[in-house]
Amino acid sequence: MEREVLFRIRRFDGEKEYWQDFRFTARKGMTVLEGLYFIKESLDGSLAFRASCRMGVCGSCAVKVNGKPRLACETQIFDVGDVLEIEPLDNMPVLKDLVVDMDGFFRKHEAVKPYLIRKDDDYKNPKELLQTPKELHAYYDFSLCIKCGACYSACPASATRSDYLGPAAITAAYRFCMDSRDEGKEERLGLVSGSDGVWRCHFNAECSEVCPKSVEPAKAMQKMRLMSAIHMIKSIFR
Amino acid sequence: MEMRRVSGWFTLKGKSINSIAYSFHRLTGMVLLLYLIAHLSFLTSLRIGEETYTAFISTTVRPETLPLDSLLFLATFYHAFNGLRVVLNEFGLLYEVRKALIYVMTLLALIFWLYSTYMMYVFVTGW
Repeated sequence: MEREVLFRIRRFDGEKEYWQDFRFTARKGMTVLEGLYFIKESLDGSLAFRASCRMGVCGSCAVKVNGKPRLACETQIFDVGDVLEIEPLDNMPVLKDLVVDMDGFFRKHEAVKPYLIRKDDDYKNPKELLQTPKELHAYYDFSLCIKCGACYSACPASATRSDYLGPAAITAAYRFCMDSRDEGKEERLGLVSGSDGVWRCHFNAECSEVCPKSVEPAKAMQKMRLMSAIHMIKSIFR
Repeated sequence: MEMRRVSGWFTLKGKSINSIAYSFHRLTGMVLLLYLIAHLSFLTSLRIGEETYTAFISTTVRPETLPLDSLLFLATFYHAFNGLRVVLNEFGLLYEVRKALIYVMTLLALIFWLYSTYMMYVFVTGW
């Protein structure tokens, strides 16, 4: 099955922003990313977009399709319709066309120390850290984040405060706080308990709606908030 | 804060029911803030004199403004019930049924609004 579709792409050349229309014949099963590659190879070679694995693993190709942040490689054209408005992600500076600068997004991710913190780190004599299935399930769903930035793009709190850590970073913090092998919970809680952390969230929950991996950042945020409240109360009595 | 991005609070394209509830919560919050300013201004006019206060009140408290009062109640009930939903969810309660909770709270707000409008109508018209 084939039919003509219209890709309306919001482009940016470094100075001005404009919409450009591309019409082509799409076939059943064709993804938005394949459509973008077709345009680049056959219609306009100057179109810029980011992509890598083409299988929903790397998180590079997240763009807004008809207003909703999605992975272009996992979104089939016919599932969306005959007219697709494609835009770069929100809340990040646009570099060119659909390519955004994700540096700030990753700096925030780095800020919450998204790695195991242990007092007995000894790289010369590594030891196995055992974990029960129950301990694994406590954080497993939240470890599936591919850092595509879709949640960050959909978050209204990230839109109005550039210093807000955002749903992805706080979910990463929660994932490591819930890991039984980790010993850096208090340190990490101190990082996310400020005004630029969990208390900035207004529970729009759009982050969970757009997450292509069903990570549920909104759930992690609320659990982290409760953890943060207990941490703050405890710190008063220390 | 960039004002351009505040417009995103009211952008509904591509958004879910969560964002619609969020937008209405912001909108009704602004309506209630404006009402609070007007309400406090009216009360402050008592410092000038009872006549000034009465003049202010006579412009707004009358049968013709009943629809506006009714809309104010709608904004109040929506904001209150939706706020309760947000509080519950932010405590980690009923997170899994968050969408159903939006419908339930909106329905409760509508029921309270209709009842309050009916009571106001009975109070103003006398039957």
